[in-house]
Amino acid sequence: MIDTALQAATPIDTVLQAATPIDTALQTGDWAFVAANWEYLLAGTVVTVLLTITSLSLGFLAGFPAGAIEVYGSGRLSGAVSTFGVLLRGTPIVVLVVLIHFGLPLPRFGSVPWLDIDLTAFLSATLALGLRSGAYQSQVFRGAIQSIDDGQIEAARSVGLSTRQAIRHVVFPQALRRSLPGFQNEFTIVLKDTSIAFAIGLAELLTRAENLYLQPGHGTAVMEVILAITAIYFVLTFVTNRSLEAVHRRYSIPGGTE
Amino acid sequence: MSLLRFEDVSKSYGDEEVLHDVTFELDAGDVEVIVGPSGSGKSTLLRCVNRLTEIDGGAIYLDGADVHAMDENALRRRVGMVFQDFNLFAHRTARGNVTLGLTEVLGLSEREAAERADQYLQRVGVADQADSYPAELSGGQKQRVGIARALAMDPDLMLFDEPTSALDPELVGEVLGVMRDLADDGMTMLAVTHEMGFARSVASRLTFLENGRIVERGSPERLFEQPDHDRTREFLGELTDLHR
Repeated sequence: MIDTALQAATPIDTVLQAATPIDTALQTGDWAFVAANWEYLLAGTVVTVLLTITSLSLGFLAGFPAGAIEVYGSGRLSGAVSTFGVLLRGTPIVVLVVLIHFGLPLPRFGSVPWLDIDLTAFLSATLALGLRSGAYQSQVFRGAIQSIDDGQIEAARSVGLSTRQAIRHVVFPQALRRSLPGFQNEFTIVLKDTSIAFAIGLAELLTRAENLYLQPGHGTAVMEVILAITAIYFVLTFVTNRSLEAVHRRYSIPGGTE
Repeated sequence: MSLLRFEDVSKSYGDEEVLHDVTFELDAGDVEVIVGPSGSGKSTLLRCVNRLTEIDGGAIYLDGADVHAMDENALRRRVGMVFQDFNLFAHRTARGNVTLGLTEVLGLSEREAAERADQYLQRVGVADQADSYPAELSGGQKQRVGIARALAMDPDLMLFDEPTSALDPELVGEVLGVMRDLADDGMTMLAVTHEMGFARSVASRLTFLENGRIVERGSPERLFEQPDHDRTREFLGELTDLHR
């Protein structure tokens, strides 16, 4: 322990140590380094959570109508939406985020204080994660809509509701409930995949973790820093899953099997 | 004037003709029971009335007006339908099943709709289940809610598509009881059912349909006792044996 304290204080040791192979053993001093940077990591956690929320929201706004169009839309429209979905689902997410960030002429925004993020990078990451999530969410909703028995629409139509009213009041409320498990899955995937924003340098958790252990003299802290952010990801997914399960229970149909 | 009139109605699915020149009429207050083997076109005939299925030839008149000239939602407001598989809205309570049409189609307020729904649930004997969801109800209760949902729209005519076929035998009686009460109250009904006891005691007319054609139509007594066609005797005999 004394040894580590000395290391931190002696520049020459720092240089020597950076040149030696990375020491993977967990060390108290490295944990102290993580703890000392809690606010920096907290800001990264906030970025990760914000990016998850904006991406999922964009994914829902794009995916729900897309799923409905695939079921109810005219042939051409439904075909176009479906093709776009196939392309998005067939592109690696890292490729997509790099393509959008460096390939699209996005406006240059400034950066946000404290969070220390480049807004343009945040927008790129939101577009990539959001559109990709929309492509998957559309399949969750499409499946849920198609799983609703045709008799439900017929019954609504036979009391005089228009097809539109029947879809809105009878199909969608049931389809959304059935989508919840799929949506929960999607939530977890997007949350974890926010880490690909690392590829465009957005200051989310993973980027910040790297920024920390690349600091001179902290090469030994790789394991500690990564373990710390792993724990943060785990807590976020765990809490989210539990919350969504509660939502599912709250809105499930009494006596129903879903 | 007749309340419902079929005039040379035909309907095909591809090459298969499911209804062939079907002609008959129903006066207000009549209870018409349709029987026939599976695939004879019974359900299609019912579904043509409220245009869940569109006909290919002939015409159907409701109270003198060609149903094809009517707005289909306006038509369906006047024709109630009860399904074999109930088709209750799974996400709404018994009361909610009845109120949906009242608020969305008739424009009643939520409160008015709930009051009216409760009256009709009372009428079919499931008032105590108003807050239950379909999955919490027995088959007989579900079908009675289905009847209340259709009745609450105050239709001129009720269509019943094998309303007891999906029920356990001990639950059939409660649904037939409700239908009997309806008939006694003067509701005009067109029912596809193989409940011969109901047909004999309640129906004003019985129609035997086979291969999309009306083989024979008349009072239940006549069709049971002295049918014109051997095929009618044979089919009704089988049905009666089955339900003994």
